[in-house]
Amino acid sequence: MGGGFRVLHLVRPFLSFLPEVQTADRKVPFREKVIYTVISLFIFLVCSQLPLYGIHSTTGADPFYWMRVILASNRGTVMELGITPIVTSGLVMQLLAGSKIIEVDNNVREDRALLNGAQKLLGILIAVGEAVAYVLSGMYGSVGQLGVGNAILIIIQLCFAGIIVICLDELLQKGYGLGSGISLFIATNICENIIWKAFSPTTINSGRGAEFEGAVIALFHLLITRTDKVRALREAFYRQNLPNVTNLLATVLIFLIVIYFQGFRVVLPVRSKNARGQQGSYPIKLFYTSNMPIILQSALVSNLYFISQLLHRKYGGNILVDLLGKWKDSEYGGGHSIPVGGIAYYITAPSSLADMAANPFHALFYLVFMLSACALFSKTWIEVSGSSARDVAKQLKEQQMVMPGHRESNLQRELNRYIPTAAAFGGICIGALTVLADFMGAIGSGTGILLAVTIIYQYFETFEKEKASELGFFGF
Amino acid sequence: MAKGASQSQTTSSSTSASRPGVVAPRGSAAATAGMRRRRLGSGATSGGNISGGSGGGGGGGNMLRFYTDDAPGLKISPTVVLVMSLCFIGFVSALHVFGKLYRYKASGSD
Repeated sequence: MGGGFRVLHLVRPFLSFLPEVQTADRKVPFREKVIYTVISLFIFLVCSQLPLYGIHSTTGADPFYWMRVILASNRGTVMELGITPIVTSGLVMQLLAGSKIIEVDNNVREDRALLNGAQKLLGILIAVGEAVAYVLSGMYGSVGQLGVGNAILIIIQLCFAGIIVICLDELLQKGYGLGSGISLFIATNICENIIWKAFSPTTINSGRGAEFEGAVIALFHLLITRTDKVRALREAFYRQNLPNVTNLLATVLIFLIVIYFQGFRVVLPVRSKNARGQQGSYPIKLFYTSNMPIILQSALVSNLYFISQLLHRKYGGNILVDLLGKWKDSEYGGGHSIPVGGIAYYITAPSSLADMAANPFHALFYLVFMLSACALFSKTWIEVSGSSARDVAKQLKEQQMVMPGHRESNLQRELNRYIPTAAAFGGICIGALTVLADFMGAIGSGTGILLAVTIIYQYFETFEKEKASELGFFGF
Repeated sequence: MAKGASQSQTTSSSTSASRPGVVAPRGSAAATAGMRRRRLGSGATSGGNISGGSGGGGGGGNMLRFYTDDAPGLKISPTVVLVMSLCFIGFVSALHVFGKLYRYKASGSD
């Protein structure tokens, strides 16, 4: 750009107003990190239960139902927006920077600061925009019903919640906490959901007398109150429309399987060139890309759902729109629609084994779609994120590491034998596990569980590493 | 991304296979790996690298890490963030309480 004008510089005037967590100038002790993480988590949990003040109703259709899993949001609460603002702004900025629409020189300190500032500013703007859109679109009742004062209060609450999430995430990432705020929040949201479904003390009257919502509580309740114990057990295990014990067991099983698979890895021996005798290993995991394929896949699908639902509501009869997806209100309430036709139907998991038997084509299509999408995203992701064979070879070279028995120029070829395979196959495995979880009816959708498990596993690894480094410090 | 993590992984796995003679180089390697990770984290190309927490070997969660660098701005300390959030929670709860009281009074006076 000849004039020296750059879009990024537009952010500069706002830079001094953006909240910015100080970087830790000392090494934060492990115990302190845990405390910060726990407090942030507590704040997040409280916020995702605290209802918004001033809303009238939340009974309208919920077009975001399918996105809530990956966005850690809860309807009608202060965390209505969840992490949407951060994720969206991050994606948009990466897209802009990646496509060179805004030029960023990563070697210049100011540019990096401006990019970060721009991301945060965009995040806040998105929070404001979404809050206004939610209120004006009548998601909490029309503005007339709410009154102008309440409407403004709702917007303020939502915006401030957005800013708090941004700050908490930054706090955790700047070295005060463990891992990233976003993944922490996603995992917490899902786990909370699972625990709630298992132990919820809410009673629901579904025609056969009051039943507890939580699977475990319902099991005991039924066993105690019913006289026919066998029928009570069957009821607890197989009841429809409410979480049952089978679902819970399926969830636990998926948890265990994923953890078991996490340990699968190919270990390549590497040797340092300059420090003689120092041997190491470079493990290539089966889940090389971890949970990235499902994050991308569910982002794609939920966006498709969102668009398809909007289109369906506006232009129902159109052939093209119907091809994309037909929607129907869920029988079990909850205010969300379920797809009943078109592409959206075929990429949704069958709701039960019986449904699967009734529509084998649907099940097959879903399976093929999930597996290929996950493999594809996984392969793409290693290129985008810089963990492809070429990048790894470069890192190892920078570190002066070589593989014994291979020439240095061969390193990349050797890595190429494993990494793309690991990525694609790992993606397929993740996809297959998601499908399995969905078919078995695990609580909180296969995607959700897989996300939760992989994130928890990552946390576990971080924990171990932190502990090890702590010990190392005291040891020497 | 996985750069920093994989390096630290390499070094830590050498730890597990450690022999008495290699203590010093390992320590320094770990230090450089840490430093490199820091640098990589801040020089993240379009935010795409970074994975410190993700435990290496995987691309997981790295897209989800944005603010790794220092930027000039309204500096606030982590405690302030936490206190601010708690105040916000208190504020919303207070709104609920006052809302209830007000409604109660309004219906009472009718």
